[in-house]
Amino acid sequence: MTDRRRGEKTDAVDPGRRRFLKGVGLAGASAAIIDLIEPEMARAETPKDSVQPSPDGTLEITLLVNGQRRTARVEPRTTLLTALREYLDPPVTGPKLVCDMGTCGACTVLLDDAPAYACLVLAVDAIGKKITTAEGLGTPDRMNPVQRAFVEKDALMCGFCTPGFVTAISALLRKNPRPTLEEIREACQGNFCRCGTYPRVFEAALMASAASDRAEE
Amino acid sequence: MIQQQPAKKKRKVLVPRVENGIERMVEIEVEDEGGPSWGPNNAHKLLNHHLVRVDGPVKVTGIAAYTYDRHLPGMLYGRILRSPHAHARVVRVDTSQAQRMPGVRAIVNLAERGNYVVRFMGDPVAAVAATTPEIAEDAIRAIKVEYEELPHVVRADEAIKPDAPKVFPEGNLEEKERRGDLAKVEAELARCDVIVEAEYRTPTHHHACLETHGHVVDYRGGDRAVIYASTQGTFTILSDAAKELGLPQSAVVSIVEHMGGGFGSKFGIGIEGKLACQLAKQARAPVKLMLTRKDEFLLAGNGPGSWQRFKAGATRDGTLVALRATQYQMGGLGDGSLAGQPYIYTARHFYRERIAVHTHEDAARAMRAPGHPQASFAIESLMDELAYKLGMDPLEFRKKNLRDPVYHRQLDRGAREIGWQRRPKEPGTGRGMGCAVGTWGGGGAPQCKVTVQIARDGTVGVAVGTQDIGTGTRTFTRAIVAEELGLNIRDVVERIGDSRLGAANASGGSTTAASLAPAVKDAAYNARMQMAQVIAPLLGAKPEELQFADGKVSSGGKSLTWRQACAALPLAGITAQGEWKANLAASGVHGVCFAEVEVDMETGHVRPIKMVHVQDVGLPLNRLAIESQLIGGMIQSLSMALLEGRVMDARLGVQLNPHFGDYKLAGTFEIPEMIPIIDDEDPRQAVIGVGEPAHIPGGSAIANAVFNACGVRVRELPITPDKILQGLAEQRRRA
Repeated sequence: MTDRRRGEKTDAVDPGRRRFLKGVGLAGASAAIIDLIEPEMARAETPKDSVQPSPDGTLEITLLVNGQRRTARVEPRTTLLTALREYLDPPVTGPKLVCDMGTCGACTVLLDDAPAYACLVLAVDAIGKKITTAEGLGTPDRMNPVQRAFVEKDALMCGFCTPGFVTAISALLRKNPRPTLEEIREACQGNFCRCGTYPRVFEAALMASAASDRAEE
Repeated sequence: MIQQQPAKKKRKVLVPRVENGIERMVEIEVEDEGGPSWGPNNAHKLLNHHLVRVDGPVKVTGIAAYTYDRHLPGMLYGRILRSPHAHARVVRVDTSQAQRMPGVRAIVNLAERGNYVVRFMGDPVAAVAATTPEIAEDAIRAIKVEYEELPHVVRADEAIKPDAPKVFPEGNLEEKERRGDLAKVEAELARCDVIVEAEYRTPTHHHACLETHGHVVDYRGGDRAVIYASTQGTFTILSDAAKELGLPQSAVVSIVEHMGGGFGSKFGIGIEGKLACQLAKQARAPVKLMLTRKDEFLLAGNGPGSWQRFKAGATRDGTLVALRATQYQMGGLGDGSLAGQPYIYTARHFYRERIAVHTHEDAARAMRAPGHPQASFAIESLMDELAYKLGMDPLEFRKKNLRDPVYHRQLDRGAREIGWQRRPKEPGTGRGMGCAVGTWGGGGAPQCKVTVQIARDGTVGVAVGTQDIGTGTRTFTRAIVAEELGLNIRDVVERIGDSRLGAANASGGSTTAASLAPAVKDAAYNARMQMAQVIAPLLGAKPEELQFADGKVSSGGKSLTWRQACAALPLAGITAQGEWKANLAASGVHGVCFAEVEVDMETGHVRPIKMVHVQDVGLPLNRLAIESQLIGGMIQSLSMALLEGRVMDARLGVQLNPHFGDYKLAGTFEIPEMIPIIDDEDPRQAVIGVGEPAHIPGGSAIANAVFNACGVRVRELPITPDKILQGLAEQRRRA
């Protein structure tokens, strides 16, 4: 549901990746579903440091996208989704603009490792947060286990909803490495697929989960 | 080019032959002209296997470039101003404030020439292009339009009345077909043992493509333009774009690298594409104009609604004797579509009239199996009602009135798979099963020109201008070439989605694979033949003796690796062309669907438990992608059966649910166990499309399962809990 993802501050309940890794130790770390592209980086100190207002009301902001500092001049009302897709140059277009009102899940990104609809987050509110999109989870040559399983199980047709599903499932497996089918349905209940790939998405999520099990043994 | 033709010989092929209304496959001998043939369906190395989609990796990592993702230097953002009224004359459009806004670069006023009438809520009035999406949105809001409202009608029930507001000067009704002898049908009906009289309705549906309609028009003045389009037809863009830009068609290129769903709604550039071109021409700068989600619902087409009235009669033995049908197809300003009744069934006597009813709503477009799901829901519900009234098993009743033995085979297969014998004989247990049947053409035509190139370093490319709308076109295109040359799928690279490449048909009516695959096969075959001419002397063999398999070219115990063989090619490598070959494609499919559902008798909520779809497809090019398409068809069907429908306010003439919040699509919690079955008993060694047939019988099977579960016959889609509760209340009143 919409509210579940909106601006959720999860550090208290969700240990986050770094603490999670510390908890499971190095062996677990290699097995966990993790971002493949995620160099360690310092957080932007405070929002103030990274906002440069100008007389026409636009702001220069710095966002931490997939491990890179990216700068753009946006309006205060510009959503994170539009900032990623239209204001960054080159843009980050994995998250798709489909409904622009938090009903379809195609724009799902990770904000500090928790899934969020980028169309419901203002770009200025994402300053200082770690933003991860499907591009940051893997590349065609180094796909993460969820992406590999999506390809293997044919969990995509036109593919427009796919980055959103991949991101939501990757977040689920990070938090819950062995989800049940019901938990998988719940994790992406806010994602629509018009081509009708849901059963394949479930299979892919289970496959990715099993893959991380095997790696742990 | 010297190409040795093998000596003429005979070969056997299977062709369909219709005798006494029954289609059978018969074997005939034809002269073998030495051209390509697919060979037995079970003897393929790559085709008819589960092939992983070649565009999967770029799609799952978010880097696949869709039209919506294009970003060009100096690009402007287009937005459309829509009419809030169903029918109105535009008196005045004031763009002065919008024009003064910083960042606004172009404004198109469609009402400029005066006497401009909007005819549906959402009808475009103006468009702007600005430097950011936010400014474009502000500019749209800054345009002031004065309307003089005119009378409107948005409901078919009202539109058919003689005093209804007229949508067209000729009136709101347009007869499309009248067939059969009404008097004879009435006389036969009077003699039947069992009669059912009923009417069935389906609402307007939306394609709801996740990527909205739209274009990025790369035009900066000058004599050339590139149009990135989210379309089902690369070549359906050029002529209109050229006209709008005032360029010769040869100076315009269209690009469709990836596209996010069409389902029948994306052919041609549409009003949104024309506006994008006009804005780009005015601003002399590239314009990205993608529809908003609300635009998409209101002005990018829809699947037409239907309203069908039947009187049907059968005899005790289960023979459908006579049917009288009045079929209204509700396409708004368009014609809509509806397959003629009794659809796939055989009725000894039938009379049908098919009438388009016009309303002040956006024109319907083709939508996955145009007219078939609507016809199927009505006739399959009716057949079920007759069966229950006769006390017959609905499956047996169907078989009795289906002459084609393929349906019998598929129904038996589906029944086994779902466990039809477990089905409650009396409705009302809260759990039930239903079935339904469909048909589609899905053939091909000579429209594609494919090029295969083999380079001296061993790389292989296949190029054609076609588009992959999510069905796996890229994958089978690669696989056909790889198989022909004895290579792996990763050894071939395909280029598609570019009008500078070879001609290709639009993806409509399940014709892509049946039109394209034969041309790809022909090109690959010709490339192999050319290569054989060069390589044969090196192996001391005749060209026709060479084997291309497992990455080698061999003959009589001697072989060359693929790379060695390619190194012997001329400097320019090999370029071969291919065209459609009739013997490589077929048309005409069957298809059955079974559904099991649970109905909560307290809340009226329907929970699908299992669906099974059995589909003949000729030669399955890629089993994995076909099974995905069958699953997708079932899901769209169940979504339409239980959730989807446009809701109009009759008084205001506006759509009340133009967004995903209130236009419900099936999500993860609605999905039952799904069993897609490719009917491998289909003997045809030829390619047939499968997109539409997967989407025909599923909704009807769900509707019939709902009746079997709870005893309530819902005759209007979607089958929502309120309708079931109302039905259950009526049952109790009658009891």
